[in-house]
Amino acid sequence: MPALTLKVNGALHTVEIEEGRVTLLDVLRDKLDLTGAKLGCGVGQCGSCTVIMNGEAVTSCTVLAGKAESAEILTVEGLSDGYTLHPIQEAFIEKGAVQCGFCTPGLIMRSYDLLTRKPAASEEEIVEVLDKHLCRCTGYEPILEAVRLARKKMA
Amino acid sequence: MALKYVGKPVRRVDALQKVTGAAVYVADIKVPRMLHAKVLRAGVAHARIISIDTSEAQSMPGVVRVVTGKDCKLLFGTCLWDQPPIAVEKVRHAGEAVAVVLAETALKAETAVKKIKVRYDLLPFVLDPLEAASTRAPIIHEKNGKYRRVEYVIHPVKGSNIFHHYKLRSGDVGAGFAESDVVIEESFEFPLSSHSAIEPHGAICRFQADGSIEMWASNQAPFVLRDVLADMFKVPTARVRVHIPYLGGGFGGKSDISIEPLTAYAAGFVPGYAVKLVLSRKEVFTSSLVGRGMKGRMKIGAKRDGTLRALEAEMYFSDGAYGDTSWPVCTVAGHNCTGPYHFPNSRVDVYGVYTNSPPVGAFRGYGHPEGQFMAGRMMDILARKLRLPLWELMEKNFLCEGKKNALGQTITRSHGDLFQCLAEVKNAVFAGVKPKNDDKYLYGRGLAAMMKSPKMAANSSSCCQLKMSADGSVFINLAGIEMGQGSQTVFTQMAAEALNIPIEKVKIYHDVDTQFSPWDWQTVASMQTYRGGRAILQAAERAIARLKANAAEVFKCPVEEIEYNGECCYRRDDPEKRLSTGSLARGYMFENGLTVGVPVHTTGSYRVQGVTEPDPDTGMGNAAGSWTFGCQAAEVRIEKATGKVEVLHFASAFDPGKVINPRTCRGQITGGVVQGLGAALMEKIEFREDGTIRNANFGPYKIPRITDMPKKFTVKFVETPNKEGPWGAKPIAEHPIVVVAPTILNAIRDATGADFYRLPVTPADILKALLKALKEEK
Repeated sequence: MPALTLKVNGALHTVEIEEGRVTLLDVLRDKLDLTGAKLGCGVGQCGSCTVIMNGEAVTSCTVLAGKAESAEILTVEGLSDGYTLHPIQEAFIEKGAVQCGFCTPGLIMRSYDLLTRKPAASEEEIVEVLDKHLCRCTGYEPILEAVRLARKKMA
Repeated sequence: MALKYVGKPVRRVDALQKVTGAAVYVADIKVPRMLHAKVLRAGVAHARIISIDTSEAQSMPGVVRVVTGKDCKLLFGTCLWDQPPIAVEKVRHAGEAVAVVLAETALKAETAVKKIKVRYDLLPFVLDPLEAASTRAPIIHEKNGKYRRVEYVIHPVKGSNIFHHYKLRSGDVGAGFAESDVVIEESFEFPLSSHSAIEPHGAICRFQADGSIEMWASNQAPFVLRDVLADMFKVPTARVRVHIPYLGGGFGGKSDISIEPLTAYAAGFVPGYAVKLVLSRKEVFTSSLVGRGMKGRMKIGAKRDGTLRALEAEMYFSDGAYGDTSWPVCTVAGHNCTGPYHFPNSRVDVYGVYTNSPPVGAFRGYGHPEGQFMAGRMMDILARKLRLPLWELMEKNFLCEGKKNALGQTITRSHGDLFQCLAEVKNAVFAGVKPKNDDKYLYGRGLAAMMKSPKMAANSSSCCQLKMSADGSVFINLAGIEMGQGSQTVFTQMAAEALNIPIEKVKIYHDVDTQFSPWDWQTVASMQTYRGGRAILQAAERAIARLKANAAEVFKCPVEEIEYNGECCYRRDDPEKRLSTGSLARGYMFENGLTVGVPVHTTGSYRVQGVTEPDPDTGMGNAAGSWTFGCQAAEVRIEKATGKVEVLHFASAFDPGKVINPRTCRGQITGGVVQGLGAALMEKIEFREDGTIRNANFGPYKIPRITDMPKKFTVKFVETPNKEGPWGAKPIAEHPIVVVAPTILNAIRDATGADFYRLPVTPADILKALLKALKEEK
């Protein structure tokens, strides 16, 4: 079986990869037990699987595992130590942006990508990146408010 | 006493787990000896199976077993047993399971599925409910009318595809129309659509050698699921255990039994192994359950002054290949298609029709959006005919104290205040001057009112277990499923309030497990706050009584002399004599070990009151245990060049009795409104010529994104205390979706002058109407 080496949340891993279509999301979930990233559609339309790869947000369900060789990955599990939350996580809680929670890790990673690259992101820029995601519960209003609050917290 | 937690925007108790990725959903679960299942789907809409060759698949690496429906005699159901877990001899829709591969990994299973060869004898298929109900249609179930069923509630027409006919006969419709000055009649269409919860359905099942069954599933109805599995495999219910982790959205799409029987059927071939099946998004569209799918006609008559006199409606539901999950949708659509208006005479016929699509199941507010789409639009049309402002027509006919609904139930003040709801949305949207049309845009405003009286089992109940620890903290156990609606948070608030203890001292057990959780009918019909709250209140009252009794034993006084204040029990006449709740929680232990009293471990339960199934002849009866009323209004802007509708402002006002948590409650409204916008403007399952679904994924099937949300939301709550509900609360969750479509279509009509009767209304539809209007002008 081919092997893949990648750094995830600061730790180096080498994992064996099955023959066939294996994605970065499969590696994270099945091999590394990082189940925060979710499979919602498998075609990059819903954004639930979004993680940071080499400093950029990607939909990990559309990234073939082979493309992640030597990559540096950040997932929602790596965003905080589990006790002290990241300001984006705090903002999502404070604004009630979480309902079923399935799309939440992806949205948080997308917001992380935007706000670390553009700490003063405009309203249009926020909406533009959130438009890559689907949420069926909230109607988006509290998500938008959460990202605005996170921008303030991170400033 | 002022409320501490009820009515406050308490933070969600599940949010921390969800923002850190720690919350566990079914796809995240691994159990020992777990195989992965992948399913071969028919790919043909209606056919006889001639042969299935699984030999090559069976020999593929990593494959443990290939399962087909050969010799399967099982049928499952809750009221109508018409569905096998896997296709047997015949397939009835293109997404139906034909074979299942069980392998060491999902990828190996998927590879092997492609090696299965099936030969079919194709049969003519039918998707349209009117065609399917006609005498010329191909028969989808030869045994329609002969299947085991609950005869009082399901009324099939033998020899046809109609598996359920609900009829409502109230008053004298002929006389009602005869005395009407204006009669209008229109036809409507609400297409099949997908719930589109972002979490796909999943299940894990394991059979043990002794025949016991264990299942983990993304399902809103653990006890129904348990009973269905027990019935299907003929094992005692006590030998079936169902676990429900967090659900990544439900909206009814996980309230019915769908993929679990297939998972269990496959697992039955490999006892000792667990079998995990998680649907792909495509399979969620093709092979779980879909919603809506109604073609209908409505006729209403009114006096010149606007008083409604008669309603006649007919609805045909394209309910897909199986009927157990959709017959209640039909019945409820019949009950509620009047909208929140008083019609003294009604005649309604609703037909559940087998077609060759995936089966229809519950979908947020089921039956209500379909029927009230018609009523909401008809009121707008009637108002123009009568030259009355729409709100005047609405107010004149609103269900209110003393009036009877079409089922013959009398409305009381406790049921809610539609007039105030209307005033709120009217004030929000209609108070200012409407923007003037310009070169680029047309502007319009629309309005509609709704009611929801959920379909429920007459014994629909919730139960609660409460146990207190030695530090006074409390553990609460209910089987309400957390699927995003916030039930865990609201339960926590209500328990803390009822016990008068700090909210941090309350823990709600969130993993529902039929082995440990108290019985609950199911998490549907927006009932958890209402029913669960009453169960919590009773358990809390009993816990307080137990604490007092324990204290009375210590003080050797009558229990009536003991007071409770949330921290301790004390003697009324001597408040210095006090004992902390923690010290009383397991009985009270004196220094020498002598213990008096017993542990505080109580239960509470609540059943909906006075509900009966509708009378088979008239369709009338006390079918609803509660109502929630509301109104919605919108202002839209339509781009002339593209026909694109932008929602500038969407206002909602509901009367949920008492808002337990304003933040989560608002979240239900904004979320429901946006889902409703999807139905109004973009969502429709489309079929190819061969009967397969054309748009079976996000992308081709459009659901609202952030750029589709209204530019402004107004959310108002009118709080008319309800007699039954905890702290006066009534159900609220599904409600905001019910009349979004007529609200928007009424606004589109106001902007363009064009009446639409078919959902969704796309930019192309609007452009066509604008062009037509332009031609007529010339």
